[in-house]
Amino acid sequence: MPVRVRVLGEAGERAVEHRPGMRVADVLRELGLLSDEYVVTRNGRVVAEDEPVEDGDTLLLYPVVSGG
Amino acid sequence: MARCSVCGAPAVYVNRATGAAYCERHFREYFSRRVRATIRRFRLFRSRERIVVAVSGGKDSLALLHYLVNLSRRHAPGWEIRALLVDEGIRGYREYTVRRFERVAGELGVEYRIARFRDYLGYSLDEIVRLGAERGLPYKPCTYCGVFRRYLMNRVAREMGATVVATGHNLDDIVQTYVMNILGNDWEKVARLGPVSGPSSHPGFVRKVKPLYETLEKETTLYAVLHGLYDGFEECPYARLGERWEIRRMINRLEEQRPGTKYRLLRSLLSAIELLRKAGVGAEGEVGTCAICGEPSAHPVCRACLLRIELGILEVSEERLRSLPEAARRMVLKALKLSEKRGGPEGGDRSGGPR
Repeated sequence: MPVRVRVLGEAGERAVEHRPGMRVADVLRELGLLSDEYVVTRNGRVVAEDEPVEDGDTLLLYPVVSGG
Repeated sequence: MARCSVCGAPAVYVNRATGAAYCERHFREYFSRRVRATIRRFRLFRSRERIVVAVSGGKDSLALLHYLVNLSRRHAPGWEIRALLVDEGIRGYREYTVRRFERVAGELGVEYRIARFRDYLGYSLDEIVRLGAERGLPYKPCTYCGVFRRYLMNRVAREMGATVVATGHNLDDIVQTYVMNILGNDWEKVARLGPVSGPSSHPGFVRKVKPLYETLEKETTLYAVLHGLYDGFEECPYARLGERWEIRRMINRLEEQRPGTKYRLLRSLLSAIELLRKAGVGAEGEVGTCAICGEPSAHPVCRACLLRIELGILEVSEERLRSLPEAARRMVLKALKLSEKRGGPEGGDRSGGPR
């Protein structure tokens, strides 16, 4: 099962293949996103970038850059 | 997994520049310490104030409103907090942030006002952008928005009895504006980019302060997420047209590679402001009164009135024109001429921030 990633304000969901030892920062890197530009929740809880991710996790990303 | 540097609980945030990690509880304490230090260091508020928080409905200004209301309830009984949202009328964007603003203001029990471009200027920003394009005016949407927003913010905050206006500009906004003004070779604007802005001498001018001046945007975002203030993301349809968009990407990439870049830029800015002031750049000149609208203005006619004349949404009669002082009349005549001229796009708004 992949790690599912949703970005607040964007339609749809992205999927990243899970690898052993994977962390939040790795998922962002794989999607080409800067960790400075998102606050990440893992399964509903805010986590730091070095938080390990499990197979089947859902990450919700809150954009840091303001839209105005 | 990162552990809180204070208590060892799982961290929700690591400040990569300092290496300090925080759990949720200690992040809130850290955030509060940081903002209070800015308020003290730059003497942003006195013990008795009516603070009008300028709110866009985005995460930063809502975080500021939430934080100041809670701070005043616990530690500053002499503060009265009000909120003001300037609704420029961008369809598909502003209506969502207005809804969130009204929900949060209601939950906090804060009195608020919404000032609409259409009520004060007769037109929404969308309509103004269209009018400007039809007349071939050389401005980007962010220019109109910035000028009229600042104009209304001052005027309506004063009507609300504000002794000070607090805006949600964060450290990221500030260093982006700094870089934009360096590129524009505009040192007057750099000199005025401190956490307190505005001349205090004119009776119609309300002092503006930026309590999040030393707080990273990632931290204001986290504060908003943790307090349930950030439940949707909307992007201004004009945002990507501005130069700020590119500068922001560039600084964020640098920060990713070299954590601490933004703090270093802020320190550089504070040094630059000190050096510029010593050299007399950006010194507060005599602030006069706009000959057309009566608002405070550094020039005989304020920028908001000039833009309205160029857009053709402010008429100045022959009789009125004759009665104006010479310098003001010249500015109005020039604006009337510009309203007929065609030109290319300019660089964008470099004077404040995105809000």
